[in-house]
Amino acid sequence: MLDAFTILTTSGIVLFDRSYTSPKLSPHILNSLINDVFIEQHRPAPSSTASSTAPNPSFKKEKYTLRWTSARDVGLIFVAVYQSLLGLSWVEELLQLVKGVFVGRYGDKVKKEGGTGVDCREFGPTFDALVERCDTGTTRRDGAGLSSEGGSEEGEGELTPPSSSASVGEGVEEEPPGLPGLGGRSVSGLGKREVLESTGTSADVTPVPTPEASRPGTPMSKSSGHLVTAKGGPGKLSRRSRKGQVTSPASVASSGDEAIKRTREGGAKAKRRWDADGFATEGDDDAVLDYSAATADNAGEEREVEVEAVNAGDMGSRTGKGQFLLKDLDDEVNAIIASSKQQKQTSRADTISDGPSGLLGTTTSKLSGLFRNVIGGKTLTKDDLRQPLQMMETHLIEKNVAREAAVRLCSSVETDLLNQKTGSFTSIDATIRDSMAKALTRILTPTSSLDLLRNITRTIEKPDARPYVISIVGVNGVGKSTNLSKIAYFLLQNQLRVLVVAGDTFRSGAVEQLRVHVRNLTELSRRERVGSVELFEKGYGKDAATVARDAVAFATNSGKGEMLYDVVLIDTAGRRHNDTRLMSSLTKFGHLANPDKIFMVGEALVGTDSVAQARNFAKEFVDTKGQLRNNGVGMDGFIISKCDTVGDMVGTLVSMVHATGIPVVFLGVGQHYGDLRGLNVGWAVDKLMK
Amino acid sequence: MPPNNVTMDWATWAFSPSPSAIIVTLLAVLLIPILVHYILYKTQAPRVLPTILLVGPSGGGKTSLLTLFATGHPSQTQTSQSPQSAICQTPSSTSTSSDRYRSENDTSARDQPTFTLLDTPGHGKLRHHALSSLNSTSALKGLIFVLDSAAVSSAANLTEAAEYLHDILLLLQKRHTGAKTSKNAQPIPVLIAANKQDVFTSLPAGLIKQRLEAEITKVRATRSKGLMDSGVGMEGDVGGGSEDAEWLGEFGSAAFGFEQMRECDVEVSVVGGNVRGEGGKGGKVEGWWEWVGGVV
Repeated sequence: MLDAFTILTTSGIVLFDRSYTSPKLSPHILNSLINDVFIEQHRPAPSSTASSTAPNPSFKKEKYTLRWTSARDVGLIFVAVYQSLLGLSWVEELLQLVKGVFVGRYGDKVKKEGGTGVDCREFGPTFDALVERCDTGTTRRDGAGLSSEGGSEEGEGELTPPSSSASVGEGVEEEPPGLPGLGGRSVSGLGKREVLESTGTSADVTPVPTPEASRPGTPMSKSSGHLVTAKGGPGKLSRRSRKGQVTSPASVASSGDEAIKRTREGGAKAKRRWDADGFATEGDDDAVLDYSAATADNAGEEREVEVEAVNAGDMGSRTGKGQFLLKDLDDEVNAIIASSKQQKQTSRADTISDGPSGLLGTTTSKLSGLFRNVIGGKTLTKDDLRQPLQMMETHLIEKNVAREAAVRLCSSVETDLLNQKTGSFTSIDATIRDSMAKALTRILTPTSSLDLLRNITRTIEKPDARPYVISIVGVNGVGKSTNLSKIAYFLLQNQLRVLVVAGDTFRSGAVEQLRVHVRNLTELSRRERVGSVELFEKGYGKDAATVARDAVAFATNSGKGEMLYDVVLIDTAGRRHNDTRLMSSLTKFGHLANPDKIFMVGEALVGTDSVAQARNFAKEFVDTKGQLRNNGVGMDGFIISKCDTVGDMVGTLVSMVHATGIPVVFLGVGQHYGDLRGLNVGWAVDKLMK
Repeated sequence: MPPNNVTMDWATWAFSPSPSAIIVTLLAVLLIPILVHYILYKTQAPRVLPTILLVGPSGGGKTSLLTLFATGHPSQTQTSQSPQSAICQTPSSTSTSSDRYRSENDTSARDQPTFTLLDTPGHGKLRHHALSSLNSTSALKGLIFVLDSAAVSSAANLTEAAEYLHDILLLLQKRHTGAKTSKNAQPIPVLIAANKQDVFTSLPAGLIKQRLEAEITKVRATRSKGLMDSGVGMEGDVGGGSEDAEWLGEFGSAAFGFEQMRECDVEVSVVGGNVRGEGGKGGKVEGWWEWVGGVV
């Protein structure tokens, strides 16, 4: 059963809220949905499940699953929240129906007055009726919603499902499928008994398996109840294999959102039986050996459940007390369903049919199109947008943006602009450019801008002072050592003591290269009387992770007094991102060195490989619990080097940010020590749109 | 034979010095400009209401404040993704700036001024709405910076709020110094609304003021020592702006104080309050209404 259902505007005001749990759902669940999906648009890699590209997207947070749909033209979002353990299949349909009805009733008001002027309390009963219509009844909660925004208790009571006289017949059909096949016959017998008892007592609420049954605390232990260890049999099974059998049910495949199987209840308590080795066996001996029957029953019941659902819904809504309201609603809802089917058909027909035919037809349509283009005020359709978006995509690819990122940007612009009107005297092209600039700005702007100096000064301040550790990673030859020296120069200018660590123990000449850099920087800092810099190296052939750990320990100088260095900069060896052996050593490096910031250097000249590079590097940096560091993105920033060599084609910025969601922190614009800049988003967008 | 007798007669009459012709001419001369005036001024755009902009870090309570001011009771809100505006009216208990001009014995009912309240999203990626509204909105009369008094006790949130406030104040300073004529640069006062004062761990307004000033001092110091922007050096931009263009407040001062903003005609005041009171009603917002009344 649903935990909560919310309707809110894109500007943040909640118009309708229905909550079915007694402490209301914490608002941070919805806020994280808005943050991650709508604003930051975190997308999983395309190779993973199709859930993100399917028309029914879902979002998981803690133990909840959220499904949503949005009405873009009015600016409304509809969200349904339920526990991940339940596999509710009717939520999509409910969302579409609620969207249709709500937009039909309140759409104009919301558009005109915004979120503040709209009072949606009367929607409560309608919403309950829609839930009744969609809910298949297997996981129905006891009674209607416990609390709601402005809904009245009497209203809900009236609408609870059909009266006892009509329901007895259906109730019997609905109930048994819910319970898993544990000796099917006895359980369904139980179900029937429950139904008959409760219809006898109360007239309104249909008999429901109690809520405790629908959500046991540990589903796995209950479900393992029916796949039980075999008894002794010929020859004793070893302890390990027996343990394996006990725990293997945990890997029972789950359908959808970990659909739970309710265990059998009630009747008499089962006697606990113990076998010779001290393991508890549950269930009848007969049932234990009959594995095939159990699973076949389960599958059959699940299928049965879905078929039943349709029947019950159709029959249930026409009889009983709530007849009056539901009938009206039925008309509305049927109209919505019919119109949506029609829309699908017409859109299919559109794609295969041609435009107006004949010379006169095409000329007039072209002229009118041109006219509308100049004057503005045209409502944009898919056809209008197709051609200009294609050109925009080509333009982006010419600017060295990876194809994946360009496609994503164009599709987001399309969803934004579909069915919108162009402004006065703006052509379609201008509207698309404007929208694309906004999308690019949004992708490139970081959620919180990195102030490196601020972070460093905070870490080296007196109470628990420790050195700030920065490490640089990247593929071969992108400019890690050069950019590391630029960062060292910048930090030296700010009066910090820097330790440069030669973590590249593989490439010939890597340590010597850093030695030369450090010598230059020492000379420069001596002249300008700022900071101090040193090199920490252990020669070639050692493990980079241990070198890094020793360096940090050396800089911290714990137990012997003050720390010797403020910042530790660790250089690493360049490695191909598709070489798994080298990439896995990065994880160990991350654990041992424990850097505060990990920057990946990517060169602006790279093409479509940038996406794969960024993704492969980001997923290596997991902490000891298996979580990606830095809020699940992996690294802390990108340094895009060699920006002076590409001129306008700075599309790599966009590709790398698109692939991972990690912001770009620095740009390398030359080969001298002072050629390091921060990212100015307006400048980057200008260059891309030029 | 004259081709058209009627027109000839009429023309003769019109140009003759007969009293009826003179009266008709007089009426035409007087009435036509008045008619034209009415037509023009009826189709003119409606009078622009004064606008107040709501900015602040995410989770501060800007959208709740908007609903409270607009409808009188706060509604439930989530994170905003797009800006919105609402027309609000100051409550009758608030005194407005026009009260200065009323005599004490004046008992006529005063009409409460209405204004437009513009709410912007606080999320980092959507701050460009706020920053562009600052520059482009006409009739912008004031700015309310809403922050969560309880959240700023943590260092990370305090830094985020201080950085945003620093950016806003810097924009206002540049607007003032960059104004071409003295007419364009209207003074925009800033109210720092310390929201959620009813929460147990909230800090009082005075303490918030001190902490914000200290944090802004650090932020402007690191900004000035930080790297240059990519948009600056690469274009071969001349000078890239003088050093004091990016420095907030008095150039070269050790510590930042809000009174340094007075130089740019930006009055900053810090007032506490809470949008949500007991049981879903409005909380204590009188201090904020007073400020609004003084500004509108």
